[in-house]
Amino acid sequence: MEDIRNRRGSGLRRDGRIRPSLLENNDAGQWPTTNEMNSPSLIPRYNQPIPHMRARASSGLRFAWLTSFVLAAVFLPFSLSASPLADTARQLAHKIAAASGPGAFALEVTNHSSLDDKAAREVRSALEAELQAEGVQVAKAEQAMGTVEVVLSDNLREYVWSAEIVVGSDEKKVALVALPRSSTGRPFAPALPITLKKTLLFAQEQPMLDVALVEIPGGSRLIVLGNSVVVIYRRQGSPAGRWELESSLPIAHARAFPRDLRGRLLLRRDHLFDVYLPGTFCRSNSAAPLTLTCNDTDDRTYEDRTYDDPWPLTPEDGSLRAFYAGSRNFFTGALSPGIGKISNVPAFYSAAALPHSTYTLWVFAAVDGSLHLVDGMTDQAIRDASSKWGSDVATVNSNCSAGTQLLVSDSGDAPRDSLRALEIPDRDPLPVSAAAEFDGRIVALWQESGGNAATAIMEQNDQRNGTGWYEAYRVSVSCGN
Amino acid sequence: MRRIAYLFLAAISLLGASGSRATAATRPHYGGTLRVMMQSAPDALTLPANATPADYWDLARTLSLVGDTLVSLDAQGRPQPTLAVAWQSDPSTRRWQLTLRRGVKFHDGSAASPAAVAQILGALHPAWNVRASADAISIETEPATPSLLAELALPRNLILKRNTNGIPIGTGLFLVADWQPAKLLKLAANEDSWEGRPFVDAVEIEFGKSLHDQAIALELDKTDLIEAAPQAATAPQGHGASSSLSLPVELLALVFSTNSKAQDPRVREALALAIDRKPIQSVLLKGAGEPAASILPNWMTGYSAVFSAQANLPRARVLLADLRQPALNTSYRLSYDPRDPQAQLIAERIALNAREVGIAVQVSLSGAEDIRLMRVVLPSPDPATSLGEAARQLGLPQSESSTPRSNSVDDLYQAERGLLAGYAVIPLFHLPVASAAGARVRGWTPGPLATWSDAGSPLSGIWLETRAEAGTR
Repeated sequence: MEDIRNRRGSGLRRDGRIRPSLLENNDAGQWPTTNEMNSPSLIPRYNQPIPHMRARASSGLRFAWLTSFVLAAVFLPFSLSASPLADTARQLAHKIAAASGPGAFALEVTNHSSLDDKAAREVRSALEAELQAEGVQVAKAEQAMGTVEVVLSDNLREYVWSAEIVVGSDEKKVALVALPRSSTGRPFAPALPITLKKTLLFAQEQPMLDVALVEIPGGSRLIVLGNSVVVIYRRQGSPAGRWELESSLPIAHARAFPRDLRGRLLLRRDHLFDVYLPGTFCRSNSAAPLTLTCNDTDDRTYEDRTYDDPWPLTPEDGSLRAFYAGSRNFFTGALSPGIGKISNVPAFYSAAALPHSTYTLWVFAAVDGSLHLVDGMTDQAIRDASSKWGSDVATVNSNCSAGTQLLVSDSGDAPRDSLRALEIPDRDPLPVSAAAEFDGRIVALWQESGGNAATAIMEQNDQRNGTGWYEAYRVSVSCGN
Repeated sequence: MRRIAYLFLAAISLLGASGSRATAATRPHYGGTLRVMMQSAPDALTLPANATPADYWDLARTLSLVGDTLVSLDAQGRPQPTLAVAWQSDPSTRRWQLTLRRGVKFHDGSAASPAAVAQILGALHPAWNVRASADAISIETEPATPSLLAELALPRNLILKRNTNGIPIGTGLFLVADWQPAKLLKLAANEDSWEGRPFVDAVEIEFGKSLHDQAIALELDKTDLIEAAPQAATAPQGHGASSSLSLPVELLALVFSTNSKAQDPRVREALALAIDRKPIQSVLLKGAGEPAASILPNWMTGYSAVFSAQANLPRARVLLADLRQPALNTSYRLSYDPRDPQAQLIAERIALNAREVGIAVQVSLSGAEDIRLMRVVLPSPDPATSLGEAARQLGLPQSESSTPRSNSVDDLYQAERGLLAGYAVIPLFHLPVASAAGARVRGWTPGPLATWSDAGSPLSGIWLETRAEAGTR
């Protein structure tokens, strides 16, 4: 008996009584009184649910409960035996039995909820078993003393199951139970086995602006740049192990960040990393415990726009830099120190450097949708690129073809996005890979430190649930399909 | 009932269709003026307590561009931080404390300090005791208010100051640049918004435009964002326009006036059983909405199946058979809102249904009304809040038994059943509201709740494509 009790989970108390209903437990749970997103543990919660106290049952009654329990355990579908759905079915059966009393009833179960038909059938089976355990037999209509009509439905937050109980000509009685809907089970986009190889690094509900994977003593670390925080995760166990939170470093900033916030996380040789955000620059220290020092960068005005200190355009320490518009989502176009003779290009969202034998060709995805190819002498604008190119470009070094490929996001009008690899042998972009598809919109694409891959951050919105999340990918190039 | 789930999915898929524009793989552009048209023609930028649904949505959307609430509710009805960043209550939910966001300023440059916020909120709710502390406000209410956060998220609780001309001064994404009562409102981007400056430079709202005029203007590219009839929202949109259909957020119901000649609950119940909602929905409402016998729609509660919306003429006749002759010989006057284009036809159809069971109902806009066909707003995804608001608009007496003690589905059901007891109100349909956006509008995520936003400020992510870009799509 003890084994069965364990298998059944926590549905039964030690005294053999059914535990307080989920509905009762959930009374205070629907409306969090503290915003858990902001301060889950710092702010005291006054109104925790108060455990319901019940008197111990007599031994005779306990025996009856145990007998019922064994019956329920035998009839309950195995897949439901320890699930929240089973608990909820038990609750509803309890309420139905309290309203109907013992006897034979015709049971009708209708599924209007988002549960699939298989789950609905299992709920029905579980309900029949639990009713049986409660002394309510399910019978044909002509043999029944009353009817029980159950509707499985749901609202925005919960599954809601209602039962209308009619005994003879008495007024109908209603029993209701609710079960919070799970927010888990989100699909992740499968990696496509094509030339562009994308590997999922991390996913979370909070926005990610950039991530960096770093090997340091003690194991792999993943550094995640969020809207106002840098979070460091440590890999547990094997290379495929889970990321476990190690530390969280808040980013202090005086000015409000702009919409479509962008940020850059760059690994450094003499300290662990730098962070570039609009109007804010942060620098980590080099030894444990890790700390982050942030400063508001100086505002300057250029062509009626405010901008701050220049951001590096590639991961290298001595990289070309460009000034970022502190209250917008683009670079102003002012370069430091410049590319050859050219120190200004049109305002742009992203840039990438393609090494050629005698020069480096810089590619700028301009705010007006055009593409600018700058070699230090000329600035060639490609105007019709807007129909094919998105806002984000980055280069990746490889052993394939020209040795460096340009990754370009899509400019499509769909909630999905893609990356393609291009080469620009002369001045005409040449596709060299099939598209790597993403199930959401790419909101950041940066060249990884070392240059052998790019980091792509994808935002995915689940319109059905009104929720969204972010996924960080490492995108690299492999030769051949 | 499965239909309800399908409708929800349809609403979401429509959102998805519009959302596809919102999530295009091009970074948002700054600049441009968003042109908006609305039906209502308000003389003042205030939200009247008894606004019609059309006026309510228009003013709620407009004022939400200028001001912020302390909290907002997301698409699943969960509270999200806005001007308040954290909150807590005592176990009785009579005393609440909300920690405010630091550094927020009104459009006039003054600080949105706890003292300023407490003063505004206290004036809005004289029955509450609102106090300010260093970085928070406390609210004491009697009786207990378990749904206080949902109440604070309602547009009537926007934190707005007024200048001497009554122009609202808020903390929102846009500030009032020009106001021509009943005609035009020009809003300018708030460069110092705590949420970050909006992408568009300005919003121009033209008021007093009929749905027909709005649709024509969108077709001719003379506006960017309009309201639409729910029936039109399900039709394919031309010229790259997209549409959005909310979840059902309005209730159409019959309400018996306090001095109605139909005082016998059996007459009222018989009328409720006589109404065949399905043909009204499919023909007069052209498929929009859901037949209803409950005040709250199923997406809020999940239990509307226990309130049957099926006509039952034999049962109605049985009820009437028990009545004395005077009740049967009486003619009941049914009135409706003449501004509601569908109301008259629906009222006449109800009169026809009533006649089939022997109840004489005369549709009329003159004389003392016995029954009124009303459309009311269900303004919050929080069911307890929407139930209270619907009861207030319907003029139902709100006793302790008709107010949910908690947000549990059992308490909610008991409260709703209490309001429907005696058939002072006969719910008929739950109706969605619709909007449409032009081809150059991007980043529009109107959300399923008719507020033009998922959570937080409406139109917050909206941006405008240049004409050339829009033409390539």
